[in-house]
Amino acid sequence: MDIRLLRSSDIPLIQHANIENLPENYFLKYYLYHALSWPQLSFVAVDVSRPPKTPYDYPKIVGYVLAKMEEEPADGVQHGHITSLSVMRTHRRLGIAEKLMRQSQLAMVETFGGRYVSLHVRVSNKAAIHLYRDTLGFMTEKTESKYYADGEDAYCMKLDLDFIRDQIREEEEDDDAGEEKKKKKKNKGAEGEEGEDVDEGEAVGDVGRDPAAGSKGDQKIKVKVGRSLGVGELIEKDESKHS
Amino acid sequence: MPSLGFGEARHDATFVTRASDHFLRLSRSSIDDTITQNLNALETPARAGFDPASTSRLGPRPLSHQIDAAACSTFKHKVLFPTWQVRSDVLSYCSLVATSPDPDDPERALREAEHEKDRERVVDERLDPYSARFFPREARTEYLASILRQEMGPRNSDTMAPQTLSTREANLFRTVIRYYEDKQYKRGLKAAEQILKRNPKHGDTMSMKALILNAQGKTDEAFALAKDALTIDMKSYICWHVYGILYRTNKNFDEAIKAYKFALKLEPDSHQIQRDLAVLQVQMRDYQGYIQSRFVMLKARPQLRQNWTALAIAYHLDGNLQQAENILNTYEKSVTTTPLRTDFENSEALLYKNTIIAETGDIERALEHLESSCKNCLDRLAVMELRARYLAQLGRKEDAAKAYRALLERNSDHPDYYKCLVDALGIPTDDEAALKAVYDEYAAKNPRCDAAKRLPLDFLSGDLFRTAAKAYLTLMFDKGVPSTFANLKHLYSDAFKKESLPVLAEEYLKEHSGSSGAEGQANGDSSKGEGAALYFLAQHYNYYLSRDLSRATEFVEKAIELDSKNVDFHMTKARIFKHQGEVAKAAEAMDHARLLDTRDRYINSKAAKYQLRNDENEKALTTMGLFTRAETVGGPLADLTDMQCMWFLTEDGEAWQRRGDLGLALKRYHTVFNIFDIWQEDQFDFHSFSLRKGQIRAYIDLVRWEDQLREHPFYFRAALDAVNLYLSMHDKPQNGANGVEGSHANGDDAAERKKAAKKARKEAQKAEREAAEKAAKQDPNKGGAQKSKDAEDAKKKDDDPNGAKLAATTDPLGDAMKFLWHLLQFSPKNIEGQIAGFEVFIRRNKYLLALRCLKAALAINKGHPKVLEQATRLRKALGGDLGSLAPKVKEVIESELASVPGA
Repeated sequence: MDIRLLRSSDIPLIQHANIENLPENYFLKYYLYHALSWPQLSFVAVDVSRPPKTPYDYPKIVGYVLAKMEEEPADGVQHGHITSLSVMRTHRRLGIAEKLMRQSQLAMVETFGGRYVSLHVRVSNKAAIHLYRDTLGFMTEKTESKYYADGEDAYCMKLDLDFIRDQIREEEEDDDAGEEKKKKKKNKGAEGEEGEDVDEGEAVGDVGRDPAAGSKGDQKIKVKVGRSLGVGELIEKDESKHS
Repeated sequence: MPSLGFGEARHDATFVTRASDHFLRLSRSSIDDTITQNLNALETPARAGFDPASTSRLGPRPLSHQIDAAACSTFKHKVLFPTWQVRSDVLSYCSLVATSPDPDDPERALREAEHEKDRERVVDERLDPYSARFFPREARTEYLASILRQEMGPRNSDTMAPQTLSTREANLFRTVIRYYEDKQYKRGLKAAEQILKRNPKHGDTMSMKALILNAQGKTDEAFALAKDALTIDMKSYICWHVYGILYRTNKNFDEAIKAYKFALKLEPDSHQIQRDLAVLQVQMRDYQGYIQSRFVMLKARPQLRQNWTALAIAYHLDGNLQQAENILNTYEKSVTTTPLRTDFENSEALLYKNTIIAETGDIERALEHLESSCKNCLDRLAVMELRARYLAQLGRKEDAAKAYRALLERNSDHPDYYKCLVDALGIPTDDEAALKAVYDEYAAKNPRCDAAKRLPLDFLSGDLFRTAAKAYLTLMFDKGVPSTFANLKHLYSDAFKKESLPVLAEEYLKEHSGSSGAEGQANGDSSKGEGAALYFLAQHYNYYLSRDLSRATEFVEKAIELDSKNVDFHMTKARIFKHQGEVAKAAEAMDHARLLDTRDRYINSKAAKYQLRNDENEKALTTMGLFTRAETVGGPLADLTDMQCMWFLTEDGEAWQRRGDLGLALKRYHTVFNIFDIWQEDQFDFHSFSLRKGQIRAYIDLVRWEDQLREHPFYFRAALDAVNLYLSMHDKPQNGANGVEGSHANGDDAAERKKAAKKARKEAQKAEREAAEKAAKQDPNKGGAQKSKDAEDAKKKDDDPNGAKLAATTDPLGDAMKFLWHLLQFSPKNIEGQIAGFEVFIRRNKYLLALRCLKAALAINKGHPKVLEQATRLRKALGGDLGSLAPKVKEVIESELASVPGA
């Protein structure tokens, strides 16, 4: 098993895994929309043990998480959303779903400054609910009645991602303790507009993390919205797929 | 003159633009008419009656008819000049009004609301760029200004084509565009026709009407009208632009590009057309053209970063890395302010530049740039991965090791990181213990990590392997991980490992016999412990490298005995039947497994697949229908097609082919082909979308993948099926147009199949009818929005749902070419494609092409019996036909064939 970032060329087999496993399906372009809008957020689990049959074999996808940032958050808070997550029945119990989720959550914070992640899950899907609630720490926000096309209700679940911010900050402090001091002075000026705190370290070295994610408080991040991005059509399709 | 009254009107807070319009029009015509009338009266005093000869007289008029100078002067000073003066005064006053602020504008709030709404408007810029245009409600000042512009400009002659519109009609024209944008096609058409009634030769209106017709699916009509519009108004950029759009929506990109280029010549400053052209150029991979277009766009708006990035992309895709980097550098230098760290576009642009530098091969510089400019980039994973890779490439092993360790901290389930870490640490590949120690460290750190425990099995040997494998299997069996066998079967290429694994599994079984593992027993989960080991062994004996199907059956039955409700066990049982060649039993067993968990789509999909393998197309579709969207018009098949379910379409086609229904088989293969067309077109929107989003690396990745799209096994399989089917159709021509004779069907069998296929088709038609009726009932009253959707549906309507027309082809080999070209172009190293190519070409007497396939196949596998047979056939075929070939061709073939063994 190989857990790694999604690539465009994976998409046909991600789509295959999706339609094999789940009733909520999407056409290829919708996957592309994710892969080209938030390429940092979607991950796949690949079965690398299959010997290739031809020079044109594509890695078999046995699990994937398709994630996005909410384009126009209703609450004004930057947050991620899990569009689809599934693992082939044959590859369960290896913790693949959990690993995929954790990678995606980390990137949501690092790259896009996400404060929380939301998702929908069928109320009858005990295994998934167990993963989200017990393993990953999601809370059930509300129940959306008849969310799915077949009339089933969905739990709307949320996970606060501030714990990842805190982790990142701690790691930065540990890793950069020495080097940080030298840099601090230099960066102060540039950071002024962000209402900086002494804790907000600049990332240094190979394990440095997103500095924006390390900043404190409810600072708002500018989000481009609406028609200027020309994504209207795709958003619309997203909604129609959910219902 | 009412001119003064108008001026006061403004202060009455009734802003009478309409009145001013009327006044200006009247005043002009009154002037013009007066001049004409008076001059006429002067010139032809009706004294002698009309003399027809006067019309043919060319020379100067006789002096007696000379206009009296005094009368002329009187008219000039008393009538003409004062009228002009008044008119001019009104115009200048109105201009003042039109350009001054208008705080009392009653429609301001309304207008602002419309602007607000526009911001949220959904735009499909790809299908109709005009939809992106926004024609807001005009402020009355603007309206006045537009009237003035028209009145002040020189008047066009009515006799000259193309016609120009009156102000009222010009406004109507704008509403046509607005209706088109809002997809209110019927209203748009009505308005367009209203204009055309008075101005039947107004090219722009005709073009807009054509655009609407095209949107309604009336493609032919649309093209005819657009052409008419062009002949009337060759100089209208709108006509050319619309013409291009028509071509583009009908996917004739080359013609669309030509039309856009014409439009652009007429209107060089149109950003819209330039952008449309640029997108088409990159879609068609005309990188030279794309560079040009992006250059023009950059010059027009150099303040936009995207325009710089876009030009860099154009150079990059064209292979000019140096120029690409220069463009990005130029922009960076021009920026004086430091971008915010949360500036995503900046962060991505820096990483994009970094990958360009790396592509030049100057890794040293790439690393330097990464460390100096990219350390704050928001894509942390990318920065870490690039840095680790550069360090490794530069041989800075210690730093590389550290970098890979950091990556493993993030994700310990990515095998590449281990491999690179081990490389960087310089551990000799035969020092198994040292290697294992690296993995053990991460296994200990991450108890839930699988890779660290499993990967050492790849390189360990002997007792080290046995110990590690035993520990791994024990852990997996205890946990009941169903993929244990799938994750280890690649080790079977090693004979020792292939022998050891089942022995270890049996040992485990002995130790755990009668129990389901400590944990398993506690919660009664039989898939753990003993069940897991039995399951592993069943799969082991079912695997082609270690196959013993009776033993496999033995183990799977034992497992089922342990838990008769376990889906995985039954699934494996079905697989064993399949390998025994018992397709019917396999389908039955898989369906049994499905019934054990009817809420799981995975097992449902597998059951359908096995039904297809058993040629039960109808049953399989019903099974699939349990999970497809109920409301999709056209039923499960339509949903599976919409959702691009490749495996089902291909398997369904293969089953129809086995059943002898060539039409449906071809239909499915063509559907797969068409989906690849859609996938190729899917990138279209992203040429502009990605620039706005700023995710350039992901975009480049997409473009490169799309270039290789059809090498995908999904395409290969369906296309090869289609080519082979066409070959068999060529060899055994069909009886009727709708013949259903299979390639291997014969006698009674064939007749029976024919009957069955006919019955099946009838059933399918019935089901389709019912589905359509049901759908019609479901949405009985959806208003305006639905209407445009109807038009769309009408466009999508399939006139050959059962592939009868496809099967009726008189040129199967010609049809096969459509599939074959892509096979040979994108998967040249797949021997099956070359073999099929040979078969097609030799039947078409294309000996050089056949020879090329043959040589390619030989290069892949020179001992392949089918290829050797083909070589003999080619020589034989040439023996008879070579005389008719051109001497040059003959010479080439003979010399090439001489080097082919067996020929």
